[in-house]
Amino acid sequence: MEQYIQDMIEQKKQMRPTAENMREVGCVVSVQGYILEVNGLDHVMFNERVIIGRHSEGYVNNIRRSSVMVAVTSQVGDIYVDDEVEATGEIFKAAYSEQSIGHIVDIFGRDRLVGQVFENLEYLPTENPTTPIMDRTAVNRPLETGIAGIDLIYPIGKGQRQLIVGDKKTGKSQLCLDAIVNQKGKDVMCIYITIGKTKKNVKEVYAELARRGAMEYTLILAAVNDDLPPVIHLTPYVGLTIAEKYMMQGKDVLVVIDDLKRHADNYREISLLVGKVPGRDAYPPDIFYTHSRMLEKGCQHKCGGSITILPIVETKGGDITGYITTNIISITDGQIVLSKKAFDQNQKPAINYGLSVSRLGGAVQTPAVKKLGARVRRELLSYLETREVYQLSNMDEMGPELQARIKRGEQVLAGLCQYKYSPMSEETILEKFRPLYENR
Amino acid sequence: MDQNQFAGKIIEVSDLTVTVLLAGGKVKNKDIMITRKDDREYPMEVSEVTGSLARCIPLVNVAGLTKGLDVYSTGQPLTIEYSDRILGRVYDSYGRPIDEKPADSENVRNVYARNLQMPEINIDGEPLWTGIKVLDFFAPMQKGFKMGLLGGAGVGKTVLIKELIHNVYTRGGSNSVFVGVGERSREGQELYQEMQESDLLDKMAMVFGQMGDNSVARSKAVFSGLTLAEYLRDEKGQDVLLFVDNIYRYVQAVSEINAEMNRMPIESGYPATIESDVSTVEERINSTDKGSITSFQAIYIPADDITDEAVQVISSHLDGQIVLDRKVAEKGLYPAINVFQTHSNMMEIDKVGERHYRLVNEVIRYLSRYEELEEIIAVLGVDELSQADFDIFNRSRKLRQYFTQPMFVAENFTDIPGEYVKIDSVLDDVEDILNGVFDEVDESHFSFIGAIPRE
Repeated sequence: MEQYIQDMIEQKKQMRPTAENMREVGCVVSVQGYILEVNGLDHVMFNERVIIGRHSEGYVNNIRRSSVMVAVTSQVGDIYVDDEVEATGEIFKAAYSEQSIGHIVDIFGRDRLVGQVFENLEYLPTENPTTPIMDRTAVNRPLETGIAGIDLIYPIGKGQRQLIVGDKKTGKSQLCLDAIVNQKGKDVMCIYITIGKTKKNVKEVYAELARRGAMEYTLILAAVNDDLPPVIHLTPYVGLTIAEKYMMQGKDVLVVIDDLKRHADNYREISLLVGKVPGRDAYPPDIFYTHSRMLEKGCQHKCGGSITILPIVETKGGDITGYITTNIISITDGQIVLSKKAFDQNQKPAINYGLSVSRLGGAVQTPAVKKLGARVRRELLSYLETREVYQLSNMDEMGPELQARIKRGEQVLAGLCQYKYSPMSEETILEKFRPLYENR
Repeated sequence: MDQNQFAGKIIEVSDLTVTVLLAGGKVKNKDIMITRKDDREYPMEVSEVTGSLARCIPLVNVAGLTKGLDVYSTGQPLTIEYSDRILGRVYDSYGRPIDEKPADSENVRNVYARNLQMPEINIDGEPLWTGIKVLDFFAPMQKGFKMGLLGGAGVGKTVLIKELIHNVYTRGGSNSVFVGVGERSREGQELYQEMQESDLLDKMAMVFGQMGDNSVARSKAVFSGLTLAEYLRDEKGQDVLLFVDNIYRYVQAVSEINAEMNRMPIESGYPATIESDVSTVEERINSTDKGSITSFQAIYIPADDITDEAVQVISSHLDGQIVLDRKVAEKGLYPAINVFQTHSNMMEIDKVGERHYRLVNEVIRYLSRYEELEEIIAVLGVDELSQADFDIFNRSRKLRQYFTQPMFVAENFTDIPGEYVKIDSVLDDVEDILNGVFDEVDESHFSFIGAIPRE
């Protein structure tokens, strides 16, 4: 037996590929889906890009005593145990080309519609350190979405992170598309990041935006649901690195991330596969940090540029108190909650005004809108609560003040309804809602 | 870097751990070790020594590290400035100034050094009014107290902390320390700017380990902050205000490190050492005969689950808690406080007086009856209530509105100037509402006001 093992070791040793060049070469010893264990790479860097079997690529994500772990990012052919793995001496980077605006691209600089790689590629780190506190300035310029329920009541400022949360089919993506289309002619660059969407979904988004002329200033960075999980995981980080590039040139960038629940589930899959200790709901304990450092890229930079982020999270059964949802709510500067109930009552956009929040509030509104908005919000919330308590009561028996309040509440709620792609400008909003409060 | 000793070489690297094969020198837990590559410095803290292996947690991103790099030991744990120079300054979790002012230091101190013995601790203190009606009424504060502000995501913890800074720090004139743990960088920037604009920066020291920083940074910020507060208490003999936003993030960061080290977790992925991890921090926040530390600590409630292990462990150290509730926030009632779960150790007849105590009990009785009545009304409508219940119903709704308040730091949301309300006015107003003095006034007149205006 001993002899047999000894022979096998000798045999393996001889089979081990060696190459006469500068680069270090190792070999695959175990394949677990898209996570490989590789022997023989003694000098690779953490996060170094490696080439597997001369066709596929990956990066080092763990250096162990006698082996390293590699996450596969692009798999062209089959990967076998004993395949050679070549070190490249460089950190894994994403590729990007300035020409890709107006196209659907992936993190390797490929146009996903034609399958071609762009020319003039530049290589960007997948992730930069967060913008330091002292390099930030106050978020105080409005980002107009054209939706009255947002611009008036829960405003979004340039550099803000505002979560869009709701069940399936409540208009989450639509809200973001509306916001992008409304940026036309406002000198804002838009990046729509899809995470684990179907190819059909992505094409639909592209078609919608192209039809409305919004692709001229929009980039769709897509990870579709059959991309490798490490790629899906990296895509939003790369998207934000691209955004940072433009922010540092002094531009305003709007980033939509659709959606982070899928991103969390994808990260859970990777973590469990590499044997990390699971926490609440089997998500890894660093799931908060995974999203917090991503969304912290949103900021108003002192150079004048900004990154506004609209992450989307899908909920089940209207419950926004789930683990991932509350984690992300605790990171963002507010949330727009969309409710199925409102959607079914044909109140569109189906914003739940009670549960939505903007932590920046009037700071990002013009003085006129701020004054009106604070008033409308306060009265609307009080109406929504009063409506429930008094729904069985006879209107005629109520005090006149209460009656007037209920009537005005109805008018406000009706005024906030808006069909998709029919934006209201600031003037329209002021004209529409001001008269309601004029005689008081 | 000459004083640094060669300690060993790297043999393992993952996101949050670096294992070093030691060359034989003495290395102890919490020592800082340094390695270099391409002119970049990678500091790390020793967290476990087994035989000739030291497992370290890196303080910075490890991308680029390779096996076989030389590691040097500084023989020192993390330190932070320990002198008058801390006031008006901003530090990161590792005690390095980040505010673009000169970085030379006078005197530094190990951030883990201090621990209090029982004889040193002083438990007396006078009341500390915050000017926030609902807080002063239901959970009055005393100097030297630890008050927790518990709440789920997005119900107003940070706004309340900022209002407390505004009302207590700005009016009180005592020195204070703000520790940002795992919260938004934007908020850090805003706080710094606000303090600068209102000329209050020179009495405050800040430490930030925000949510964009790795878990090591987030787990250390509170120790650095505590050391600054201790300096003001022990060396200057002052009454210090300590604001921590958010202490839950400290436990969360420790869990992340724990998982990365492959140590066995307890429920929800928290470390098995959670009790002692929290105690090491909380036991240092106390008052002595020289000076006091009064602290306000925001506590995040994950998934709106107040029975969460970390929340429970932290709140067992507190002298009082203020619980913010999504159901209240949903109705537009801010500060969104759940009065049934809010309490303070000061709520005793000896401390607040018989009248205050009686009124609180009466209000709680009204409001809990109101909750029951709401269910009845949902089925039968308001008209079916008895006169007694109808009074409770109406007055409770007024009380609920009355306990909202325009806050100075929330003018952006309400467009109403903030109000500071004295406790005596609160007691008078509440008594009158309960006695039916305002039965004929519509409830909307009580919403977002200070004290009730009297002729």
